[in-house]
Amino acid sequence: MTAVAASIPPSWYLLLAATVFCIGLLGVLTRRSALYFLMSVELMMNAANINFVAFALYYGDLTGQVFALFVIALAAAEVAIGIGIILVLYRNFGVTDVTVPTEMRW
Amino acid sequence: MVNAPTAVTALLPVLLFALTGLALLLIDTIRPSGRSNTSMAVVSALGSLGALGATAWLVVSGTVGVDAGAVRLFADTIAVDTMALFFIAIFASVTALVVVAAHDYFHDHANPAAFYSLVLFATTGMALLAVANSLAVVFVALEMVSLPSYVLVAFLKQNRGSVEAGMKYFLVGALSSAIFLFGISLVYAATGSLLFGDVAEAVGSLDGLAGVAGLGIVMIVGGVAFKTASVPFHFWAPEAYEGAPAPVSAYLSSASKAAGFVVAFQLFTEAFPVGASVGANIDWVLAFGIIAAVTMTLGNFAAAVQEEVKRMLAYSSIGHAGYALIGLAALSAGGQANGTVMGAAMAHLLVYGFMNTGAFLFVAMAERWGVGRTFADYAGLARRAPVASTAMAVFMFSLAGLPPFAGFFSKYFLFQAAIDNGFVWLAALGAVNSVISLYYYSRVVKALFIDDPDSPSALDAIDVRPTALYAAVVFAAVATVLLLPGFGPVIETAEAAASALF
Repeated sequence: MTAVAASIPPSWYLLLAATVFCIGLLGVLTRRSALYFLMSVELMMNAANINFVAFALYYGDLTGQVFALFVIALAAAEVAIGIGIILVLYRNFGVTDVTVPTEMRW
Repeated sequence: MVNAPTAVTALLPVLLFALTGLALLLIDTIRPSGRSNTSMAVVSALGSLGALGATAWLVVSGTVGVDAGAVRLFADTIAVDTMALFFIAIFASVTALVVVAAHDYFHDHANPAAFYSLVLFATTGMALLAVANSLAVVFVALEMVSLPSYVLVAFLKQNRGSVEAGMKYFLVGALSSAIFLFGISLVYAATGSLLFGDVAEAVGSLDGLAGVAGLGIVMIVGGVAFKTASVPFHFWAPEAYEGAPAPVSAYLSSASKAAGFVVAFQLFTEAFPVGASVGANIDWVLAFGIIAAVTMTLGNFAAAVQEEVKRMLAYSSIGHAGYALIGLAALSAGGQANGTVMGAAMAHLLVYGFMNTGAFLFVAMAERWGVGRTFADYAGLARRAPVASTAMAVFMFSLAGLPPFAGFFSKYFLFQAAIDNGFVWLAALGAVNSVISLYYYSRVVKALFIDDPDSPSALDAIDVRPTALYAAVVFAAVATVLLLPGFGPVIETAEAAASALF
């Protein structure tokens, strides 16, 4: 298993991570629903995780893998906060579309 | 090798913030229905002042000092140095002011415990950010600041403005922390380490991976720009500061901004030192130069056309982020005044912490009274509230940088240091912007002292005397004035702390 993973050049991992990151970024920029936004941000964070895990293997250093676990926990915390904010948003404005609330000038 | 007692001592300020936050939750659990707003505010204020005292003690006792060097803990992932303590002192002061003011602001709120504990936990994150010496700790601490901040902005959950502001802050914040994280992952990919020191070594000898590291550093600059509300990521600031409860705006625009700067200062001196980065063709100094110039210009011009005081202060805080960014933008490889310019930016952030917090707390007082939000609504307030209005005038003139106030000295030293380091254009741009800022700051003073109210009954709203809010505003004003004679030691400490990093 390790031999197979190690035989893949590291630039491919970078390419994969960059692709996933860009898909997430595209989602953030084009989707109007706050829930899609959360999913897209999750994709972007997981793209970083791919880099951390792949290069932890490449350098033979555990730091990246451990940090990836930290990131997973933090992403979950961020989603929890995000869902809470989306909930009060829905109660006040009746929508989850982030372009609708315009009490203040944007 | 550092033994356990030293670790506890050096991290005492951080631990005090965390323990105070937990103690607040405990009080709330023991007395869930009691009218505990006062005891919460007292505990929070004592906790913050205790952390401030602990910070001062660490410096005075020589545990951490310029001579003693940084205390390095947990396999080098945490380094408590003088710069970190300087910023922790800013965080502790701002937090103390904000929790005291919040006592009156949230006097009839159903659940004040949530507010105080969230503020203390966010401050814990800021203190941790200041002592971080690893990109992993930086990211964890950054999220520890951001997550409570999102909730604090949306704290008035029946208020549409507050919820909208919280939502926008969350959207921009989550996006920028994802970008920041991807930047860290690219730096890790290029250098193979997350520790500042090891990253700095590897940045000096990148072979073929300079592009990856450079892209990562650009993304990290983006994350810093979000935290400091600087230009490409400043859109959230006017909305969040305007919609949030005013004490939260004060907290975010002073403490949270300073937290962004401490991480930027440490990252770009210890992890990506200017010499090695420029050697590897990663010229982040130029990037910060452009960001600083655009940020201060945009902030000041946008502030000049606002009609609402709170929104004007929000844009003015963007402008001040531009000034403080000179601390990074005016660095050069081997520059003689590198330490001076960064130290001056630190001193400016300290002065700014008091004057800007005070200004936002005055707005909190106006919100508590229920007078309106625009300049016109503030007309004639000095007749009914002369002390608070005088304090506000002190903040405004100090923010503008007029000579008899502390804000003048911090800006003067900053621009002078930039000139010494060969960045005359930044200093000139900063001076021009300060002149523009005088226009909109003096509009507030004119409204308070010279203008007549629309109707004689307009001032009848001022029927309560929020004592704690008054105390916080007056204390901030006294601190702003006292920093005038006290500016010498402040700038010396700051310059020594910054010079130790070069």
